[in-house]
Amino acid sequence: MAEILGTFEQAVLLAIIRLRDDAYGRAILQEVGLRLGREVAPGAVQATLERLENKGLVTSQLGAGTPIRSGRPRRFYRVGPSGISALNDARTAVEHLWRGLRWPLKGHA
Amino acid sequence: MLRLFLRPDVFLSTSGDLLEQYRDSILPVRGLFRADRWYLRQVLGFALRKTLPWAALFAGAFVARFALDMLHPTTDFHTRSRVTTYTSIGLLLAAGFWTAWRSGSFLAGAAAGFATVAAASVLSIAGTAGLLAFWHDAPAMSAIAASGGLDEAFFLPAFLIVPGIVLGGIGGLVGAGAKRIWRAI
Repeated sequence: MAEILGTFEQAVLLAIIRLRDDAYGRAILQEVGLRLGREVAPGAVQATLERLENKGLVTSQLGAGTPIRSGRPRRFYRVGPSGISALNDARTAVEHLWRGLRWPLKGHA
Repeated sequence: MLRLFLRPDVFLSTSGDLLEQYRDSILPVRGLFRADRWYLRQVLGFALRKTLPWAALFAGAFVARFALDMLHPTTDFHTRSRVTTYTSIGLLLAAGFWTAWRSGSFLAGAAAGFATVAAASVLSIAGTAGLLAFWHDAPAMSAIAASGGLDEAFFLPAFLIVPGIVLGGIGGLVGAGAKRIWRAI
């Protein structure tokens, strides 16, 4: 198993994959918030991106700024092969846990 | 403030993201006052995330000392005080050093010292109150009184704000200097 990912790390990695070439900090923030159905703190996303980059699961490069950002550059992220492998492992682990059970669960609370 | 707590290579892009979110999504929906409050909260959130581990260790040292004094009373507090004091000094110097090493600015060390003590004060009050909720019989209360009383147990970390800034600043000075030397070699 390459890397054990938390739920939030998975949300961030999947957001980067969904956004393709437009995966920069603020777009990732919005995508993660949309998928999780709650407001997400920019600091939480930034800390997760930094951690994923330190683990070698994502890479980043700077792009041009825009007037709404007062010209400050965007940092675009890409999921690397280790990130893809970690996501596949996470998905496999969840499927193993659910194997043999019907979803949604019914009956005893 | 963001510049103090973020690495130089991520500061511009991160502050740009925050600014874009503020101008494009938050301000039009919430209005100026609430949007400004949101912005301030996010910036404080960045500072808190960077210093929370240090604050947890700092508060942990105080709460552990309080628990020791309460559950294993002594008449000689000299050794315990020395351990607590040196642990606190070490943690604040380390917090300042680490933050300044990452950001490259010694001011980041002083800011980290302040944020560490401020967050630790809140954690320490919660931890001390939690211990008191479990142990508040007569022997425990008299042991607390003998070791400095409830006031000291609850509020001592908050009185360390200024030493926190100074020690964080010293750690920051060393951290920023070490970073420059590291870059040069």
